[in-house]
Amino acid sequence: MASLLQPDRVVYLVRGEKKIRAPLSQLYFCRYCSELRSLECVSHEVDSHYCPSCLENMPSAEAKLKKNRCANCFDCPCCMHTLSTRATNIPAPLPDDPTKTAMKKAYYLACGFCRWTSRDVGMADKSVASGGWQEPENPHTQRINKLIEYYQQLAHREKQDRDRKKMARRRQCMPLAFSQHTIHVVEKYGLGTRLQRQRPGAPISSLSGLSLKEGEEQKDITIEPAPALDEVEPLPEDCYSRPISLPEVTTLRQRLLQPDFQPAGASQLHPRHKHLLMKRSLRCRKCEHNLIFAHPIPSKRESQVLLTLTNPVENITHVTLAPCEDDDPDDINSTAKVVVPGKQLVLAGKDAAAEYDELAEPQDFQDDPDVVAFRKSNKIGFFIKVIPQKEEDADVTVSFKIRHDFRNLAAPVRPSEEGGAAAAPAPAESIWLTHHVELRLGPLAP
Amino acid sequence: MSVKIAAGAVVCVESEIRGDVTIGPRTVVHPKARIIAEAGPIVIGEGNLIEEQALIINGYPENITPESEVEPKTMTIGMNNVFEVGCVSQALKIGDNNVIESKADVGRNVILTSGCIIGAFCQVNTCEVIPENTVIYGSGCMRRVQTERPQPQTLQLDFLMKILPNYHHLKKTVKASHNAS
Repeated sequence: MASLLQPDRVVYLVRGEKKIRAPLSQLYFCRYCSELRSLECVSHEVDSHYCPSCLENMPSAEAKLKKNRCANCFDCPCCMHTLSTRATNIPAPLPDDPTKTAMKKAYYLACGFCRWTSRDVGMADKSVASGGWQEPENPHTQRINKLIEYYQQLAHREKQDRDRKKMARRRQCMPLAFSQHTIHVVEKYGLGTRLQRQRPGAPISSLSGLSLKEGEEQKDITIEPAPALDEVEPLPEDCYSRPISLPEVTTLRQRLLQPDFQPAGASQLHPRHKHLLMKRSLRCRKCEHNLIFAHPIPSKRESQVLLTLTNPVENITHVTLAPCEDDDPDDINSTAKVVVPGKQLVLAGKDAAAEYDELAEPQDFQDDPDVVAFRKSNKIGFFIKVIPQKEEDADVTVSFKIRHDFRNLAAPVRPSEEGGAAAAPAPAESIWLTHHVELRLGPLAP
Repeated sequence: MSVKIAAGAVVCVESEIRGDVTIGPRTVVHPKARIIAEAGPIVIGEGNLIEEQALIINGYPENITPESEVEPKTMTIGMNNVFEVGCVSQALKIGDNNVIESKADVGRNVILTSGCIIGAFCQVNTCEVIPENTVIYGSGCMRRVQTERPQPQTLQLDFLMKILPNYHHLKKTVKASHNAS
């Protein structure tokens, strides 16, 4: 698919809050507004968490507990690919009879890409296929947990003080109003803060996460400040003169992917559990409806100046191309003039069964051979003429408008005016959509 | 044009072998593999696995045939190496237990010792000796050293030596007069 390799050749203009030009594969289409939307014009919501390798879905609360990591899958610490479990047969003494040896299965983790194995860091082979692998303990965990508890308590105390002050000043205000302000303070030190969105009128649920009740006596947690050392461990003597053995040193990326340990030596790189990915749901900001993904309206694949239009829907689509006007405010990038075919192009509908149907009727469209190069099921190839304006070796960019009709089959059904038991759905109307397209054709040939 | 195939080697007829090539026993050459000895003889050891569309070529540098006579250099390939699908190997000296993965490209001035793995699509054109047990992987040809050498593909070799003759004609084996050192 050329569109995977050259995504920036054909860009569509999105008129959102900002004017964004993006290739079609990165755009969405809102069925309700009938407009193109880019990633910046939509709001994201976290739908669920899942592991990219075992596809295990888990609710957000569980993900928070497991620190957004999958319990079963591991990442290679060397190249960040997924580790696979391999088995070998090793002779091991039978538990009953120490003199005899039997073949037992031993499992180890291995990376298929960089050939890292768990034996490289000294992890012994396990006898169970999954669940036997332990992540190394972080020596600082206890201190960190203590610090977190202390700061949570401190934040709660601050919030209570602030509430008390505000209560004293204004007696009539809604309890929600000032608590929302202080939610921010609590969430500064709380865990999992992003789970709660600021929705006006919602009950204060963050407090329950801290499991603190008003008026209860709190255990005073004190922490010792980190001790400041006068003497720092000196560098080894041969620090500057010892030759570095590169395979033993970890790269920065490998080191920083494990911020707990940041091992400097490759022999201490332990595998980590795989990070979970989020399934997002996107909402169109204007109409607050959920979007579907990249509704592929006519996609263009360009070869010289032969363009292809593909019709993804099952109806016949009519497409008209029009050049940009001279003073079109959107037309800033084009460096060449384009002559587009003036006639309307007709695209046949997509027929999923067409490839299996040997007796398909030939499509009966009268095509002008100057305009239409080929026609194949729901695709059409047509010519445009490009006249470069400048002599120098600039990128030839061409822009024009494409206008097509779109029948929204998924629009909400409007009840008929007569009423009645069975409301007849209004026939889906065709609307005409216009998009501004830019094509980057590449440099001029010398 | 002398191709000496030792007894026990399985070389399919569809493979293209040109020039002075010696193939050791227990080596499997898949159909559509190409072993071309232009600028000198090629000696392949035993237990090697040369898969489809692999190209082992002892050619002139940059494909230019020199006008004057240049001394032919022998390309030696050791034991238990694996040349995966679509790889190109011009290295003059390859040791044992190496794996050249799919579509990798090994240049003429590289010397593979033993246990090296050249990852898929990695192009190694340097002029160096790759130390033992090195793994070259990734789009930036990152390297690392692994602690153990890759296992010889004995199971696969046995399977292929049984199955390939059922579906392909094999080139005739000729007893080699002398073995490669």
